Amino acid sequence: MRKGWSLLPVTRRRFIGGAAAGLALAPAAARRAPAQDKVVRIGFLAPLTGPVAAWGKPGLDGCRIWAERVNAAGGIRLADGSHQVEFVPYDDEYDPATARVGATKLVMEEGVSFVMMLGGDPWPGAQPVADRTGMLFSTLLPSDLGPDTPTLIAPAEVHPVYNVTAVDWLAENRPELKTAVMCAQDDALGLPSVATYLAAFEAAGIEMLEEPILFDPATTDFAPIVTRMLARGPQIVCLDTCYTDYVHPICEQLFQQGFRGQVLSCTADFYDQIIARTSKEWVEGMLFQFPDFDDPALNADFINFEDPNGFFATYNERHPGEWGAVSWEYASIMDLWKAAAEKAGSAEPAAVLAAMKEGGKGPHIFGEAEWWGADLFGIDNALVGNWPVVAIEDGKARIKEFRSIPAWYDRHGEILKKWMTEYGQMWNQR
Amino acid sequence: MVEFLAQTGLNALYAASYLSLIAVGLVLIFGVMRVINFAHGELYMAGAYCVVALYAQGRAPFLAAVAAGAVFVGLLGLLMERALFRPLRDNPLGGLVASIGFLMILQAAAAMGFGVRMQNIPPASQEVLVIADRVRLALPRLWVIIAAAVLLSALWLFLKRTRFGWALRASAQDREAAALQGISIDRTARVAMFIGAALAGIAGALTAPMVSVNPNMGHSVIISAFIIIIVGGIGSLEGAVIAAFAYAFVHTFVATFADAVIADIVGLLLMLAVLIVRPTGLMGTRDRA
Repeated sequence: MRKGWSLLPVTRRRFIGGAAAGLALAPAAARRAPAQDKVVRIGFLAPLTGPVAAWGKPGLDGCRIWAERVNAAGGIRLADGSHQVEFVPYDDEYDPATARVGATKLVMEEGVSFVMMLGGDPWPGAQPVADRTGMLFSTLLPSDLGPDTPTLIAPAEVHPVYNVTAVDWLAENRPELKTAVMCAQDDALGLPSVATYLAAFEAAGIEMLEEPILFDPATTDFAPIVTRMLARGPQIVCLDTCYTDYVHPICEQLFQQGFRGQVLSCTADFYDQIIARTSKEWVEGMLFQFPDFDDPALNADFINFEDPNGFFATYNERHPGEWGAVSWEYASIMDLWKAAAEKAGSAEPAAVLAAMKEGGKGPHIFGEAEWWGADLFGIDNALVGNWPVVAIEDGKARIKEFRSIPAWYDRHGEILKKWMTEYGQMWNQR
Repeated sequence: MVEFLAQTGLNALYAASYLSLIAVGLVLIFGVMRVINFAHGELYMAGAYCVVALYAQGRAPFLAAVAAGAVFVGLLGLLMERALFRPLRDNPLGGLVASIGFLMILQAAAAMGFGVRMQNIPPASQEVLVIADRVRLALPRLWVIIAAAVLLSALWLFLKRTRFGWALRASAQDREAAALQGISIDRTARVAMFIGAALAGIAGALTAPMVSVNPNMGHSVIISAFIIIIVGGIGSLEGAVIAAFAYAFVHTFVATFADAVIADIVGLLLMLAVLIVRPTGLMGTRDRA
């Protein structure tokens, strides 16, 4: 039996052999060193577990594919040379206290240059870290924006304002639909979306048959909610920005309780599972806002995303059945960040932000867009342009049209502000 | 309006059915073991995951997966009895804390085995019983109602009409006196744990295709189950069934006609009102409380 603390029987011969192998490999390692040493670290602070994980984890998976593509193409070219990209994830569990710990760790310990978040309930936890350090943060939910934190941007998704595009499309293409009901979970994602849909319905001349039903996020049995929604015989049932865990059982209940009208939802993640719970015929025509990236419409010239069809194929190969609303969104934010960092020649948050907002316009994934939002969010930190209206046709999500959010807002902005105020969602009310 | 009321009544009947299965199991365990089993919601969750593993992933028939789920969760109950509650038999607080630890282990096991995201389970049946144009009951919901009626009736007969049922009740009423009469306390404890856990497992397995199956799904049911056993009278099986129906009907009707959040508040107010009027609960006795 060996004595002492050593676990390996290291003999002089083994030591010399190991040292020789190490010396032989050293030049090769040294040749790779410059590329490996220069790394830009990006924080990914989003829910990776729990009921909101569907809007966090697929985004991280998408980012990893994005990083592979960028790194393979030479990385990010800054003033001091090329840098590889590395994502540092932290699960905020959709909880503000956890988000605060995560933001502090990412910024103070991990040395990240940029932090991407889903936003919503966790944002108030991370906000003091952003304010104190000047770190650049992004959110998918512009309702987090406010003039107090100029380093928070919403460059990909203008949730929930883009929801107006599907209602606008519906009013134009199915004018016979005149009545609607709506339900949503009572939280930071559900409420601004409720205000937005109410504005969109009012602008479209669609009557709400009753007040939106706000349910406790702990709800598991949706039969009573669906029974109540169907009591007045609506033509449209709007599922607002319900989480995936709610959209599926609500759709199943709508199907079982005999609803055969128009379903409208912000998202329809894993819609193949909705089809399995209902039927292909029942889901036909369901409208939402998030395309599959094998959609031919995404090959148009104005789309600012490298090879969306290839990205979709790689994603599905690695994560079969997991494509969702956010699979591409964080990656598209990284496209914007990369372009700005290369323009600035630096990954410093202030320099990147200045480069990103130069000229008041930017290359949003769905076309050229403008930095916008002072009216609604108190600061022009949301990149807003076109957004797709997506329908399920023959069991597959297909983009029906890209619609302009600013154009809708120019016509109906006052209605949106009225409902946002009614639900306490204006920036100066939050 | 009549159809609306009838549909709401069916929704309430379904909720009452699965809640009574869970609450009766919880009461049975408390009655015999004298332990508040905080992991009972996770036993419900374990039943649901059996359906994920065997039916959704393993392509086994749904009812076979439910039966396997009942047995598996019953065995988990036996494990809890042997490893946690028996060594802590004279320490009710210790049993409670141990059950909280077991709860976390089960949640972590589910997360490690199946991931943290909602599990997709194909519907067990898409058939819907159309009673009227707007009064419908999906077949899987009907199965839950039937299963609850059959299992609770069988349990009642077992407890009232069999020698072992008498022994179980005697053990629940006075453990020492029962032991002096030659009743094996260990054996009654094992049977109570198996049946109590299996009832929760069956509830989880049967409802799995209709709810979001995730590692945290036990939280919501355990709160309702605690309200029910307090309203029914801690230790009273009949009280648990009556309270489950009262709670489910009040909660469902308030959620449908007013608001789901108000329904939660009304559920708690119901518990407070019963405790003020009858501190021992609807069917509880001073000894049990």
